[in-house]
Amino acid sequence: MNSQKPEIIDESGDKYKYGFVTDIAADSAPKGLNEDIIRFISQKKGEPDWLLEFRLKAYEFWKNMKEPTWAKLNYDKIDYQDLSYYSAPKQKVAPKSLDEVDPELLQTYEKLGIPLKEQEVLAGVVAVDAVFDSVSVATTYRQKLAEQGIIFCSISEAVKEHPDLVKQYLGSVVPYTDNFFACLNSAVFTDGSFVYIPKGVRCPMELSTYFRINAKNTGQFERTLIVADDESYVSYLEGCTAPQRDENQLHAAIVEIVVNKNAEVKYSTVQNWYPGDKDGKGGVYNFVTKRAACRGENSKVSWTQVETGSAVTWKYPSCVLQGDNSSGEFYSVAITNNHQQADTGTKMIHIGKNTTSKIISKGISAGFSNQTYRGLVRVAPKADNARNYSQCDSLLIGSHCGSHTVPYVENRNKTAKLEHEATTSKISDEQLFYCEQRGIGEEEAVSLIVNGFCKEVMQHLPMEFAIEAAKLINISLEGSVG
Amino acid sequence: MGGLVQKVKLFGEYIPWFQAMRDKGAITFDELGLPTPKTEAWKYTKLRDLNTDDLVIEPSNFLSEMRVTAEEACGCHHEDGGCGCHHHHGKGCCCGHHHEEGDCHCHEEGHVCECRQKLQVPFDAYVIHFEKGKMIPPFPDFPRGVEVMNLMEAVITEDAKEYLGKVADIKLHPFAALNNAYMEEGIYLCVHKNVKVDKPIVLINHTKSGEENIFFNIRNLIVLEQGAEAEFVEWYNYTGAVKSRYFANLVNEIVLGKNAKLSHYKLQDEAFKANHIALSVVKQKADSNYHNFCLQRGANIGRNEVKVLLNDENASAEVNAAYIMSGWATLDTTTDILHLSPRTYSSQLVKGVVGGEAKGVFQGKIHIAQDAVQTEGKQLHRALLLSDTAEIDVKPELEIFADDVKCSHGAASGELDENQLFYMQSRGIGREEAKQILIDAYLNEALAKVKNPEIRAWLSDYAHAPQE
Repeated sequence: MNSQKPEIIDESGDKYKYGFVTDIAADSAPKGLNEDIIRFISQKKGEPDWLLEFRLKAYEFWKNMKEPTWAKLNYDKIDYQDLSYYSAPKQKVAPKSLDEVDPELLQTYEKLGIPLKEQEVLAGVVAVDAVFDSVSVATTYRQKLAEQGIIFCSISEAVKEHPDLVKQYLGSVVPYTDNFFACLNSAVFTDGSFVYIPKGVRCPMELSTYFRINAKNTGQFERTLIVADDESYVSYLEGCTAPQRDENQLHAAIVEIVVNKNAEVKYSTVQNWYPGDKDGKGGVYNFVTKRAACRGENSKVSWTQVETGSAVTWKYPSCVLQGDNSSGEFYSVAITNNHQQADTGTKMIHIGKNTTSKIISKGISAGFSNQTYRGLVRVAPKADNARNYSQCDSLLIGSHCGSHTVPYVENRNKTAKLEHEATTSKISDEQLFYCEQRGIGEEEAVSLIVNGFCKEVMQHLPMEFAIEAAKLINISLEGSVG
Repeated sequence: MGGLVQKVKLFGEYIPWFQAMRDKGAITFDELGLPTPKTEAWKYTKLRDLNTDDLVIEPSNFLSEMRVTAEEACGCHHEDGGCGCHHHHGKGCCCGHHHEEGDCHCHEEGHVCECRQKLQVPFDAYVIHFEKGKMIPPFPDFPRGVEVMNLMEAVITEDAKEYLGKVADIKLHPFAALNNAYMEEGIYLCVHKNVKVDKPIVLINHTKSGEENIFFNIRNLIVLEQGAEAEFVEWYNYTGAVKSRYFANLVNEIVLGKNAKLSHYKLQDEAFKANHIALSVVKQKADSNYHNFCLQRGANIGRNEVKVLLNDENASAEVNAAYIMSGWATLDTTTDILHLSPRTYSSQLVKGVVGGEAKGVFQGKIHIAQDAVQTEGKQLHRALLLSDTAEIDVKPELEIFADDVKCSHGAASGELDENQLFYMQSRGIGREEAKQILIDAYLNEALAKVKNPEIRAWLSDYAHAPQE
């Protein structure tokens, strides 16, 4: 490797000489994906050799992989050579005041109840400040957290500051060979967060990527790694609760969680990427691989997600229950409207004894959207007394949408008890009539009913998220009635 | 492909429309190939044990009969005298025996047909016998308005032309394509307008021990005209101690006219080394009702797939099944109910008991088309695991494109309840017996769906727990 290295740097330097001269250009790689691009990313980030090697191996493997077609998704073929793999492909000109911001966007903020100052930040009016703000916020937290030994930083920083930890866990839950999108991510991931909770520590606050990801506009290929050591606890929030008009075509993220003995991790996501316009033009393709490995005894992981955005969602947060008595939970609300498509669900792999898992999935389809719950519950031969309960309910609003349920249940242990239930229904006219009779408008009535339908999941969200998520649901369903 | 694709001379090659179907079947199978674990519809039923290399398709009875008839050497008692056999010598004798060897033992004096003697259908019925996938005459006498022919006869008279090969889509089912390629044996059953058949019509296929490596295909076409009612029973029976290996590939095409009602029962009791792959496709017109129950208890790989197309308003289907198994078997129950019109109804209940190192597979799908509003689809699968090495794989699927529907599915699996066992043991019932009682009760829920009490009793006798 070492003997080859200078040669290749020369080569890439040659090729991209003009592209790298100015500061702005230096931040974005030319379109296309090849070894040079990966070396360029790695070099830009000042990564050690082992990580570059990891990326190159992933790329080598990815070249021979085929994009999966089994999901019930219908989207234009993605040209992977027509994407830029470093930095945001589009440099946005920041608006100077709120007057210049898209009024539709402002309306949405108002409905979400976001204060003016924050509105400015989110719309990118004071972009620089926002970056500074969030960095400083992060820094203050970091100090506070560091006192307890908690590491919370971007993954690029972690590679430099805590290489041993990253090296030990990166790719250990989601190997680069896992699937097409995970493999792509492994080759080109640009940023993400790293969390390490040491033994016996209960993280005193909720960790969030809310501002950092938004403001920095990092993004297409995030990679998150969370390690919870013995007897620790952390609650982690991800995503943006305010709609970001992100026009990136492709998001392929990975989240890896390692949970050791007696530890617990709660991971909550509110995903609200740009869903495309009313006719289904534009919008984000969201291909995410999320997996948690419950390695130790009595470990626990809980995924809660509220999915309202993206034109195409492909996401299956999974739990590998290796440790005895470990447990996994999955709570999901997915809402699709207009021409959105979502194929989402979970995997619960029971390997250890007395492992339990619970799946509550609520899907709401409206407009012309299509939604699929796809889940797998697998009980290995040695997983004595494994227990799973799955419930998938779908609500259809309008006669042009679709809702599908595809659960896979594989049981290889007789002591396992597995139950799966699914129902599909619509908002009944009686329910609506009842509300309207009492002076509640139709749209309000629908959101009331939908919120009731989702309640089981929403109550698992952290407080501040729950309120915004409930409002988000109302916004997502706007115009779907009548 | 081994022994699945063979050059065999079959009867009816000179009939262009019919031969075209066979050719298309062969080409389609060649294109599709055998399903692999990557084929979604066969995800859990692994065909690696199918071992088709040494399979043999026996020569066509129709052709050998014709040759013999031409030489006037048929020693059969076709005249009368109890044979009652409807042999159409002009078109080809359909007697299931090789007359050139001169050993048609069934109909010789002093001999009663062996196969029929062994198996008694315990209820009053019209019984049609098959042996190794080939029909054995005679047909029973059917009442007026019930037309039964062997398939080739119906092809010659063109009675079968309207529906044959048009109900099952071979592009979706590789084994149906293969069945197309060898189409020859099977029955054509047509119940005329408003005729209600008084007794069940039973098709028994006998296979005996020692009949090794045979590959046979049966294709039945069942048409119920408007307002007709019938009960059709399929019984795949194996006798003998030595476990033979053979492969049965079956396709039923069923058409139900307006307001027609068909009860369709099946008992799959093949040899433990045999493979049995069956597909029934049902097309239903308005107000018709299809009632199906299948009990699977034999075979190495046994798959019973039922596809129902509810094409018109108010059509309803009930597809229930039970399976009970041990050993190494894989038993697969696959359903696909397509609600294509408003106000159509379906319900499914499948229960299984899996012991030994066996694997139970259930794949159930309810599809509701965009305009099929006010439909109802229900599905429930439950399975019991009896041993540490048993496996159960379930994929209940809902595919819904309409909002005003009521749909639900459920799946559960577990072992026998220790508390219930203890309860019985504490009252003096032995553990093994208690287990048996619980298993019987477990399957009873599904068996109770069988409408005809006589048939229910008959099937119940076969629905006992496998020996551990």
